[in-house]
Amino acid sequence: MTGVTRSRIPALLAGLNGPQTLGNSRLFWVLWLAGVAAFALLPCVASRYQVLTASNFFISAILALSLCLIWGFAGILSLGQAAFFGVGGYAYGIVGINLIEATGESGAALVVGALAPALLAAAVGALMFYSRLKGVYVAILMLVVSLLLGLFMRQTADPAYAIGGAYLGGMNGLGPATASDPSIPNLTLGFGELVAEFDGRGRSFYWLALGALVAVYLGLRWLVNSSFGYLLVAVREDERRTETFGYDVRLIQLGAFCISAALAGLAGALYTAWGTYIHPDGFSVGPNILVVIWVAVGGRKDLTSVVVATLSLSWISIELATWGEISLLVLGVILVAAMLVAPEGVFATLGAWFGRLMVRSRRRPAPPPTAAAKLGAAR
Amino acid sequence: MEWSGQVFSWIYQYFDNMAFLLLAASGLILIYGMMGVINMAHGELMMIGAYVASAAFYVGAPAPVAIVAAGLVAGLVGIAMERLVIRHFYNQLLSSLVVTWGLSLILSQGVLLALGPSTMNMPTPFGSFSVGGFSFGVYRMVLFATAIGLIAGVWALFRFSSFGVAARAAMENPRMASALGVDTKRVYTATFAIGSALGGIAGALFAQTAAISPFFGQNYTPMAFITVVMGGGASAILGLVYAALYLAGVQTIASNVFNQYVGYVSIMAAAFIGLLVMPSGISDFVQKRRARRMAR
Repeated sequence: MTGVTRSRIPALLAGLNGPQTLGNSRLFWVLWLAGVAAFALLPCVASRYQVLTASNFFISAILALSLCLIWGFAGILSLGQAAFFGVGGYAYGIVGINLIEATGESGAALVVGALAPALLAAAVGALMFYSRLKGVYVAILMLVVSLLLGLFMRQTADPAYAIGGAYLGGMNGLGPATASDPSIPNLTLGFGELVAEFDGRGRSFYWLALGALVAVYLGLRWLVNSSFGYLLVAVREDERRTETFGYDVRLIQLGAFCISAALAGLAGALYTAWGTYIHPDGFSVGPNILVVIWVAVGGRKDLTSVVVATLSLSWISIELATWGEISLLVLGVILVAAMLVAPEGVFATLGAWFGRLMVRSRRRPAPPPTAAAKLGAAR
Repeated sequence: MEWSGQVFSWIYQYFDNMAFLLLAASGLILIYGMMGVINMAHGELMMIGAYVASAAFYVGAPAPVAIVAAGLVAGLVGIAMERLVIRHFYNQLLSSLVVTWGLSLILSQGVLLALGPSTMNMPTPFGSFSVGGFSFGVYRMVLFATAIGLIAGVWALFRFSSFGVAARAAMENPRMASALGVDTKRVYTATFAIGSALGGIAGALFAQTAAISPFFGQNYTPMAFITVVMGGGASAILGLVYAALYLAGVQTIASNVFNQYVGYVSIMAAAFIGLLVMPSGISDFVQKRRARRMAR
């Protein structure tokens, strides 16, 4: 990008643009703003059910972004990303049930929902990265962690599995321990009298989820284009070389892993708040593979592609549901086909192609470079 | 004699757990050790084997025929998978992991659509015997013997047959092997088919102890993966045996002292601790130590 175009872009966006992300042009940001505005206005035209479903899509997109960060940028594939999602969801529910009547808000529960999986990631990640486990092994061990958590949650039907007023509930899902305890609260933010309740079925929650997605997206764009982002990519491309330059690869991997877990946990907490419901099946193979499909089909190395893929694939799944239980089968076929045809992801490939097309069309009016100019450029 | 039954029960469980890990992981570790691909669809190949075996059994085929049929069908499915998809993902570990996971989703969901979620059952043959007041199924011991037999057979195939020599050459140095006239593509397909057939046979054997459903494979894959990871890639077959010896021991102790769930978790914990000491698996560790001793 030349100096002229860069100066046109508002300084605000400078930190968000860079070689680690597709879509750095003014046109991209105009389209992006239009897209966000369209989503923000959607509740004015869409039905209640569509708003409810779309809220969940935004939560899914946050989860997909969390995997995109570690897989696409740091080169750490986790097949058990739903483990962090589920832990965040359970943490939100447990803290929310215990605190909602005392404090009248569940913002603290949301924070714990992000922190608890980050702690789990720190513990498991420290073991894995500091023993320099191979990437495939990390991927599989994370899936096993997720399945074991699910197995554990399944057998918590015994009333002894109560944490304060929250009862883990086995296959019935998380709930209150006794009739006098509150159920999983709606997301309620604020202090004292100044609280706002976001009912998962309402428009307010929709806007909140959209806002969270936009915040996570912009935050990650800033992160991956910062010097830490360059480090992540360096680790992905060549661990040994990065180490030779004096960086602690294990620490970088652990850091990215914890951030990713916190984001997945945030998504999980929002999910629990959305449906006021969390169930051991959240840890099973299905949710774990869905995240991988969204990220792989979108393009693991680009945040925008992952969000677009998550939203469109989630929408396709819902549409397919009317045809019977074929949505997972179709998603499996889409995944395998995408991996064969566009290994870097369908949306990322399309995006890169579109970007090249735009650059070429902009250059067309210019006269073809002379041999002398070519020589000059080469020098 | 109460205590003799107790002691025998522990030994019996140890062998049972070992048979479980050996059978579930044998095909998987062959494919991983020889080709560097971890086949996430391995559990689904076992599921296909289980369905084929039970279908053959209810048609009236004797059990050995049903098991062989299961191995054949799973091997054919494996060939199709390798030819159509997996071929394009050699030397891309993470991508092959994801694409085979996609295949597993297609297979399990496809079978779910075709056959429905209801489970099938096969009777467990051979009856039982009792020691010190405890009753034990004979079939579990037959499983163990079969597992050892299968693994020894695979080892011998790759160690002594001309196919085995060609396969090992193709894995070690594909370009040199093909320069010497080995059709490496064919060797890859054949190895994958053998691994898949082992999965199908394992599925058919487990079908006689567990309910068969489209998600049959998911019960076996996590433990099979841990065994493969623990075994390491240096010497696939030996690694498998080491890993099964170690993990089954931990599981037997933990599930007897605590409960079944702790037994499962202990496998995971044991694998974690093992990998802290030996980051690329037991067989790599043993090989390196041997090399060091030789150097001295």
